[in-house]
Amino acid sequence: MSNSKRITLQQAAEIVTNGSSLTFSGFTIWRRPMALVYELIRQKRKGLHLIEVNGGPQTEFLVGAGCVDIWESCWVGHELYGKYGANLSRKVGNKEILVEDYSHAEMLFRFAAAASGAPYAVTQTSLGTDIHNPEYDTLGRAGLRDGQRIARHKYQFTDDPFYGAGAQVLVPAAKVDVALMCVQQVGEEGTVRVNGQYYSDPEAARAADLTIVMAEEIVPEEYLRRESDRNTITSFEVDHILECPFGAHPTGMFGRYDVDGAFLKDFYGRTRTQEGYDEFAREWIFGLDHMGYLEKLGWPRMLSLKANTALNYSTGVKRGQ
Amino acid sequence: MTSNYANPEEFGLADLLCCAASREVQNNEIVFAGTGLPMVAIMLAQKTHAPNLKLIFEAGTLDGRPPEIPTSVGDARCEMGASRASGLYDAFSIAQRGYVDLGFLGGAEVDEYGNVNTTCIGDYLAPELRLTGSGGNPDINSFARRTVFIMVHEKRRFTPNVSYITSPGWRVKRWPGGEIVHRRELYGAAFRGGPAAVISTAGVFRFDTESGRIYLDTCHPGKSPEEIREMCHFDLDISRVSGETLPPTREELRLIHEVLDPEQIFIPRVKKP
Repeated sequence: MSNSKRITLQQAAEIVTNGSSLTFSGFTIWRRPMALVYELIRQKRKGLHLIEVNGGPQTEFLVGAGCVDIWESCWVGHELYGKYGANLSRKVGNKEILVEDYSHAEMLFRFAAAASGAPYAVTQTSLGTDIHNPEYDTLGRAGLRDGQRIARHKYQFTDDPFYGAGAQVLVPAAKVDVALMCVQQVGEEGTVRVNGQYYSDPEAARAADLTIVMAEEIVPEEYLRRESDRNTITSFEVDHILECPFGAHPTGMFGRYDVDGAFLKDFYGRTRTQEGYDEFAREWIFGLDHMGYLEKLGWPRMLSLKANTALNYSTGVKRGQ
Repeated sequence: MTSNYANPEEFGLADLLCCAASREVQNNEIVFAGTGLPMVAIMLAQKTHAPNLKLIFEAGTLDGRPPEIPTSVGDARCEMGASRASGLYDAFSIAQRGYVDLGFLGGAEVDEYGNVNTTCIGDYLAPELRLTGSGGNPDINSFARRTVFIMVHEKRRFTPNVSYITSPGWRVKRWPGGEIVHRRELYGAAFRGGPAAVISTAGVFRFDTESGRIYLDTCHPGKSPEEIREMCHFDLDISRVSGETLPPTREELRLIHEVLDPEQIFIPRVKKP
């Protein structure tokens, strides 16, 4: 059917062209579109501009592979399983990537502004910090602030003109080409139902010019519309859909599977160097497709991550020492 | 009468930090929790002296009562028992609206005015080491009435000048010039408070909110004020020391190890002698 939104993982990755700006669903090590990130790496995408409310394994995989020129966000790491982003850190040290730092709330409000069609957001956060140091405007220093997709200023200050509340920070809307989402369920027409915390997914999907949703399962649209009050993202905000079970691994998904901490720990430990990253990528990305990846993980590992259906998280995964 | 406080061989440094952090929480407060030890500390307060505290997780869980400790704020373990499972827009707008009494944060470096760095070590434009970045550290610190930092105590981390002010202390920079001003001047109507304490692996530090300067409040068992002053690159005020950091009680230790973190995700158990 010509109006179907269904595409394949390969097609989804092809939509993200070199030089695109990208954002993702999820929060740190939860619900990241990893299968699609691996496919972008297999297709050797270059020059990406990541604009993220917060980073995580998806950032580290893409940055390590050399796909990213600009990272605009506030945080990257693997939580308990890797204390910072070793690949980003290495590339910053080698001046191989541009980093634009905002605070977490500033990034969130930038997406909320874009999602509501406003050119900027106003907030009172982070006043007095080096986030607002004019010397540290990385994209400005690089001459990239053209006022088109990248704002003319990193931020501006203003005094509240309405109630006299004092200094306010204005931050530009996050203009993003593509949002890659990873969720539990999507309907044939694009309606998304996220279970659990929805993080900044509604803002990300609406802010981006094009939204691709990868779901654990594609379900009948009619099923989601029976209880429309439980849905998270509107059908017409979604351009393309695809089904990809375990697509967020090694990140976790509420109600489906836990974070694979051992995998992230291994990734963090082994990818401090570029050689280490390249070897990791040869082992887990190149020469595999998604089914090959799952086969390599194996049933016992996947079952240990599988969420208990009453609790929505795994009771079998080893978390501590 | 035998004391309920545990003897030194019964607890580790992580237990001591966790209990010190827990005691910063007052009943009925709304508390913003970051990942890690603070989560255990807040849940400990919830099970002891502050049963009515309200817990917010940055990823979107509001008034959470997780039955099992989450490993991060995005964890699927956050939702069960909560008033609402929502998203970051709710968490941050609630914080900016002024609901939050207390936030727990971490840091790589702190200066004598409570400015904290989690961004990089060395020159920002050519750093020796790039760290995680700000995360919600400056936001929670800007919005909450009080913030408490939990840090590993190393001399290089207690410095007169942090490499990068990620999170605002009591005396901060007014841009574009970068003059140092009291936080109250800069925040205007949005001023609610600032860093209230630093709990390090050596002691508990507090701030004079007028001068903005840090001072030593209590020393952890076995540390002297002079020793702790030697562990700072800035000139630490030790004239206001109130005594020794109270050790955990046996009940707190039981809750930490048998109820809250039996898997030893954040708090290792001390080996029985």
